[in-house]
Amino acid sequence: MHCTRGLGQHSSQHASLASSLHRTRLARKCSSKVAAFTLGNSRFSTSELLLHAQKRVLVTGGSGLVGRAIQHVINEEGGGKDGEEWIFLSSKDADLMNKEETQAVFQKHKPTHVIHLAAMVGGLFKNMRVNLDFWRNNIYINDNVLQAAHEVDAVKVVSCLSTCIFPDKTTYPIDETMIHNGPPHASNFGYSYAKRMIDVHNRAYFEQYGRSYTSVIPTNVFGPHDNFNIEDGHVLPGLIHKAYRAQKEGKPLVVWGSGTPRRQFIYSLDLARLVLWVVRDYNEVEPIILSVGEEEEVSIKEAAEAVVRALDFKEEVVYDTDKSDGQFKKTASNAKLMRYLPNFAFTPFEKALKETCDWFVANYDNARK
Amino acid sequence: MEGEHHSQKRVLVTGGSGLVGRAIQHVINEEGGGKDGEEWIFLSSKDADLMNKEETQAVFQKHKPTHVIHLAAMVGGLFKNMRVNLDFWRNNIYINDNVLQAAHEVDAVKVVSCLSTCIFPDKTTYPIDETMIHNGPPHASNFGYSYAKRMIDVHNRAYFEQYGRSYTSVIPTNVFGPHDNFNIEDGHVLPGLIHKAYRAQKEGKPLVVWGSGTPRRQFIYSLDLARLVLWVVRDYNEVEPIILSVGEEEEVSIKEAAEAVVRALDFKEEVVYDTDKSDGQFKKTASNAKLMRYLPNFAFTPFEKALKETCDWFVANYDNARK
Repeated sequence: MHCTRGLGQHSSQHASLASSLHRTRLARKCSSKVAAFTLGNSRFSTSELLLHAQKRVLVTGGSGLVGRAIQHVINEEGGGKDGEEWIFLSSKDADLMNKEETQAVFQKHKPTHVIHLAAMVGGLFKNMRVNLDFWRNNIYINDNVLQAAHEVDAVKVVSCLSTCIFPDKTTYPIDETMIHNGPPHASNFGYSYAKRMIDVHNRAYFEQYGRSYTSVIPTNVFGPHDNFNIEDGHVLPGLIHKAYRAQKEGKPLVVWGSGTPRRQFIYSLDLARLVLWVVRDYNEVEPIILSVGEEEEVSIKEAAEAVVRALDFKEEVVYDTDKSDGQFKKTASNAKLMRYLPNFAFTPFEKALKETCDWFVANYDNARK
Repeated sequence: MEGEHHSQKRVLVTGGSGLVGRAIQHVINEEGGGKDGEEWIFLSSKDADLMNKEETQAVFQKHKPTHVIHLAAMVGGLFKNMRVNLDFWRNNIYINDNVLQAAHEVDAVKVVSCLSTCIFPDKTTYPIDETMIHNGPPHASNFGYSYAKRMIDVHNRAYFEQYGRSYTSVIPTNVFGPHDNFNIEDGHVLPGLIHKAYRAQKEGKPLVVWGSGTPRRQFIYSLDLARLVLWVVRDYNEVEPIILSVGEEEEVSIKEAAEAVVRALDFKEEVVYDTDKSDGQFKKTASNAKLMRYLPNFAFTPFEKALKETCDWFVANYDNARK
C-alpha cells in the first residue's frame, strides 16, 4: 500500500492549525487539487515549494552512526537547503522511552519533519540475550516519537528499519513488499518485530489521518562514528577494531564464524544523502530499501580481506567456526531506489572502508568502543 | 515444577465483565468449576484503565495474582475496525504491554492472553493452525487489531527467552453466548443475527442478513470456551498458543447460522440476504487438532442447544443486554 497523492489533501488538515508561515501560505494558496508527484520528475507545484521552503527537521538519534553522517552532509558538504532548519537530538536531550520527555522535546522544537533514527540497537549476541528489551524499548520509543510528531502536526516522519527484519524463510532478492511475509530470524525477533511495527503504525496513521509517515530500509551501514565495540557492535566496525588491536599486539585477526555469510554494505554518508532525498522527495507510505545493488553483496571473508587492505594489516586472518554465523544472507533489491534515482552513485566500498578505517585510527581514543 | 503454585492460585481475570469473562464467572460460581485453593478476581474497566500504566500497576500490586487470564481489549466488528485501525493498534499494544509487564513484576507464574482467528494471514492454506500466525499479513480491514494481538505471542516468547516465563495465549474462533455485545452495527455476526431476528419478529418484518450468506465460520459457545480456558490456566504449559475451537467439520455458512437462529427463536417471517453488504473474510477455517490431542474427550455443547440457550438469555434479559 503506498500514497502518492500530493499535498492538496493535506491542506485541509493544515488550514485549521496555527502559526507556521508555510502552513498559512499553504492554506491560502492551495485551494484546488495539487498534482501528485511523478516518479523521477523534479518539477514541484507551488504549494510543494512552499512546504519544502520552510522545514524544521528534527533528527532523533542524531549523534549515532547515521545521525552523524547526516550532520556531516548538512554541515560540511553543503547538503542543506534554503529554508531548512536542522535539529539533531541525542539521548542527552530526551529519553525517548519516556512519553513525557518525548512530548516535551517535540513541543519545544515543533518540527515539520522528523528523521527518526533513535533505537535500541546491537549486534547478534546482544539481541539474543535480551530480545524482550529490544521489543519493549523500541515499541515505546517508536510510539512516543510517532505520536508526538502527529500531535505537533509534523507532515512527515522518516523512520529507519533494517534488512535484518525481513522474513527468515524467503526468496531472494528481498524487496519492500515482503516485510511481513513470515517470521524474522529467531536471533533478533524482538528488534525485528518492533521495527516491522513501524510500518504497520505508518499505514495506520495514513488510513486514519492521512499522514505521510514512511520508512527507509538500509542494509548493513558502516562509517565514522559507528559503535566499534567488539562484543555488541556490528560486523564491519567489529572487524576494524579487532584488526587494529591485533596489529598492535602482533596477533592474528580472528573472524567470528565461517566467513561465508553474505552482506550488502552501505556507507553512512551515502545513506545520509539518500535519507535527505527521502525526507524531501519520497512521498510513499510504503518503505524504500536504501542499499547498493545485489551484485555488490560480499561475503564476511571478503569484507575481512578488505579491512586487511584498508588497515594495511600484516598478520594472518583466521576463522573461529565455533562462533555463530548469524543469518546466511539477506540479499535486498534496490530496484525501487534505482527507479527513483537511476544516477545515484554509491561511494566505492574500498574507498568508503578506507575513510572509515582512517577515521577510526585517527579518533581511536574518542571512538565508541 | 511449581507444585505449591498449583494448590494456591490467585487468578486475576482482566475483561472479567465481557462475553468470555462472564462465562468464566458462570463456570466458577454456578457450575462448581473452581478448585480448592483457587481465588478468583474478575476485573472490569471500573477497576482500572488498563491503557494506563500506573493504574494497571496499582491493580496488580493490590491483588498480586499468581495467574492472569487476560481478556481485556479494545474490540469491535468490521466497520469499527476499518474506521480506527490506528486506535486498535495503539490501545491494544498499551493494554497488553501494561498487563504483561505488571504480571511479570508481581512475579505471576502464568498469563493466558486471548487472541482470535481473525488475526491469521489473509492469504493462506486451510485449515489454519497455531504455527501459521505470523506467516503473512492479516486481512486489511482490521490490521491494527490483528498485529496488536499477534504481538502478544511475540511478547510471550520474549518473556520466555529472557526470563523463563510461561506466558501463553489461546486462539478462539467466533465466540457467542449470554452477555455478548448484541449491537447490530458494532457487534459480531451471531449476536447481530439474534438481535435482528428478535426485532424483526416484533415488527413482523423479514430478517435481513448482511452479505450473501456464503462465508463460513466455526462457532464456539462461551461456556465451552470458559471450561477450556480453565484447563489452559491449570494444565497447558506451552508458550506456543493453542486454538480453542470446534472441529473443521463443524464449520457452518452464515446462511446455516441464520437458519439456526430462526429455529432457536421460532422466527416466523422470511429471511432475505442483502448482497450489497460486505461479506468480510470468506473463511478462516482453523484446526483444533492440537486441542484434540490434549483433550480427546472434550465434549462441545451442540450448536443448536448453545444457540437456544443464548437466544433464551437474550429474550429474558433484553432490557439489560449490551446492544
